[in-house]
Amino acid sequence: MIRSTGTDRAPALGSSVILRRDHIAGGVFVVAGLAVYAVSGDLPFGSLAMPGAGMMPKLAIALMVVFGLVLVLRAGESPPWGEVAWSDVPHAVRVIVIAAIAIALYQPLGFLITMSLLLLCLLVLVEKRNVLRVVIFSIGVSLFAYILFGSLLKSPLPHGLLGF
Amino acid sequence: MESIADSLLLGFSVAFRPDVLWYAFLGCVVGTLVGVLPGIGPLAGISILLPATFGLDATKAIVMLAGIYYGSQYGGSTTSILMRIPGEAASVMTCIDGYAMAQKGRAGAALCIAAVGSFIAGTFGVIALTVIAPPLGAFALRFGPPEYTALLVLGLVFLAYMSSTSLARTLLMACFGLLLGTIGIDVMTGHFRYSFDIPELGDGIGIVPVAVGLFGLGEILSTPSTTITGKVKPPRLAELLPNREEWRQSAMPIARGSVLGFLIGIVPGSAHIISSFLSYALEKRISKNPNEFGKGAVAGVAGPESANNAASTGAFVPMLALGLPTGPVTAVLMAALLIHGVPPGPQLVSEHPDVFWGFIASMYVGNLMLLALNLPLVGLFVSVLRIPYAYLYPLIIMFCIIGVYEVSHSIVDVWIMLIMGIVGYLLRKFDFDPAPLVLGLVIAPTFEMSLRQSLVMSNGHWSIFFQRPIATVLLAICVLLLALSALSLIVKRRDWRAKLAEAEAGES
Repeated sequence: MIRSTGTDRAPALGSSVILRRDHIAGGVFVVAGLAVYAVSGDLPFGSLAMPGAGMMPKLAIALMVVFGLVLVLRAGESPPWGEVAWSDVPHAVRVIVIAAIAIALYQPLGFLITMSLLLLCLLVLVEKRNVLRVVIFSIGVSLFAYILFGSLLKSPLPHGLLGF
Repeated sequence: MESIADSLLLGFSVAFRPDVLWYAFLGCVVGTLVGVLPGIGPLAGISILLPATFGLDATKAIVMLAGIYYGSQYGGSTTSILMRIPGEAASVMTCIDGYAMAQKGRAGAALCIAAVGSFIAGTFGVIALTVIAPPLGAFALRFGPPEYTALLVLGLVFLAYMSSTSLARTLLMACFGLLLGTIGIDVMTGHFRYSFDIPELGDGIGIVPVAVGLFGLGEILSTPSTTITGKVKPPRLAELLPNREEWRQSAMPIARGSVLGFLIGIVPGSAHIISSFLSYALEKRISKNPNEFGKGAVAGVAGPESANNAASTGAFVPMLALGLPTGPVTAVLMAALLIHGVPPGPQLVSEHPDVFWGFIASMYVGNLMLLALNLPLVGLFVSVLRIPYAYLYPLIIMFCIIGVYEVSHSIVDVWIMLIMGIVGYLLRKFDFDPAPLVLGLVIAPTFEMSLRQSLVMSNGHWSIFFQRPIATVLLAICVLLLALSALSLIVKRRDWRAKLAEAEAGES
């Protein structure tokens, strides 16, 4: 039986094995490698004299699985799974969700509105900053970036429904 | 030698054009800022600004991007010395004695020694690059597909060997990168690979979304704003000059760091990081007063700072002469040249002499600019740290989105960046270094093509790699490095790589 623990003790004979960071890391790459191999069925490997489109991906998958297994086998050198710090996850999730919404709205709403909203949401919802100051900052910075990239560097920014 | 002098003259005629000078200056300023700011490294800085160079010609683009790279090495020392925060990874070793000097009231002298050392090492590196790259490029013209395959394998094995994380972790990341690099149409057979009916994936995954995601967004996700502090007191201009004894103590470490750094820079791996560590270890070993290290030894600042700058320049040798990126930064710079229709490699000198020599000449000028910028303006650069991180990282996310979208005006690329940001965050949690992933992604097309061409040439016989002398020698070096790695596993001794990992962990 594998158990997760926050302590780093050497397992006694006959006791349960401590789940470690590299058990998970190696295992994920082994499973991911096998999953990609499963969807690579239609790619021909070809022969050595005439390698096909599937040769390189399948070689890379095979090596990925092998190195993943090496990590699992040598996982004893890594810290226990319970010691991996996840305290920054809430911050990361909030940033990811806000960035994802901004990306989804980037083309429909255009540069100026999306970027103002992105900055506003990150500073108000994630960083809990003063709303009035953040509104001025968000609009000001987005406008500056719009002029810099759109007008000075001539980059074709998405204009969206309202034309900016 | 005469032809090199003529070519350099051509280069300087390009580098002294006002528009090229302007972009070199811009690159140096941005690079210094990137080096000063914690949480954004040279790779993220270059990747984010890459799209801004699309409207420029290849010379101006590469001059500006390279300026960001070596400028960040200068800037990284500032926060290391004044705040004990390495602005970028190569400045980790400078934290130890640089900060100790600052505590003794010698912050100005430490900054000056770091800047002068960086300038001398950077200039030495450019001179060596000027002499070595063209003949190496000419030699590489003899390379066929088997030699290129062996060279790329050697690059990956060297990267794994030099890495401070384990061999298996580094090679696993490289294979992941190679796999990502196979996405898209197979150019030899026309098969679509892993494109899942998404037309944008037919062209494959671009290096910019991956690099910006892994190193820009990934870094932000793992850096909550409460962990960043911004209090610092920059030295006054009058306090910047070291005394005679400090100059004397720094002279030889700068010379040794320059040579050592350049040699390590040529080798694949995170050379600028490794070189600063090795230089520190070397200076401590040969010092008459090793006990001073950690308490403000001048050699502990001069050596590592010189070494990391020389290594940054050395890394351009294989990139320009062989078309082989030795790390993620040179990989992105190589991608930048490719985007501008200038393939780096043996033909670069003969087919695009203005780009090659203009770039090299601009590095002489850039090093001078950085010296002039970094000393008098240290207070200005440090004041950037007063911007709260809570306001800074939303701006970086905004520039990440703009930068990635502008590469090909594809929202799919921006989604890839977000996914790679999450991947980068998770990789850090599991102690993986994302750099080999980027390298694998960049070399994947060349590696696959040369491997398949070699097999076709030999009618399917792997022995082709052992029948050609250059390929055989390169593969023999691979075997030797793998054997050395295996030996260190068996003997379980703490070699310099283990010490480097400890030093990085201790400072992060």
